[in-house]
Amino acid sequence: MQRKSLTFITRQAPYGSNKAKLVIDAALAAAVFEQQVNFLFMDDGVFQLVQNQNAESISSKTIGRVLETLELYGIEQALVDSVSLEERDLSAEDLAIPVKILNVEQVRQLAARSDVVINL
Amino acid sequence: MSALHTISASPTSGLINSCLRLVCPGDGILFIQDGVYHCCPPDLLGDVSQDNALFALREDLLARGLLGKISERITPVGFGRFVELTVDYDKVISWS
Repeated sequence: MQRKSLTFITRQAPYGSNKAKLVIDAALAAAVFEQQVNFLFMDDGVFQLVQNQNAESISSKTIGRVLETLELYGIEQALVDSVSLEERDLSAEDLAIPVKILNVEQVRQLAARSDVVINL
Repeated sequence: MSALHTISASPTSGLINSCLRLVCPGDGILFIQDGVYHCCPPDLLGDVSQDNALFALREDLLARGLLGKISERITPVGFGRFVELTVDYDKVISWS
């Protein structure tokens, strides 16, 4: 099977809908098939990365636990849109997992060079 | 690689701003469903470069009474042309 570069963009906050979980599941599935997977947090999606979350209080699974599985599946680098962080007054120190922060041009290039972009 | 961006929610969603951060020269933007509300006044598309073609789904414009109100920059397209556009561009990036 031809190896494609897939970029998954996760743009929703973690618990209000199931979209955040859906993007992770889709990315993990792609990684299992040995595709080149990029995982980008954008807009409200950056709220998934905030430290010290505990979703037991709302009977949900804490998203940070799920995000830690990305690396296990070979998605080594979580990418974050710098503008989305700035808009929400967040910085790398506020985040639960190590990430690579991309500026506007890097985000644009990431989408441009990807074979497929899945955006939820 | 060129992309066709589809926007399917009204301007209140702020999707156009996120979309424009990814849009490259030569990309196209197609407004569908409630996304067609971007096409009528007030002008929300002033930041879109002239390098980017703008389309809106005619059926969605008609349904919402917007066909006569859209900006001259926007080309109304039917379902057939919608399908052709998805093939003309290298990929589709959907914003919903």
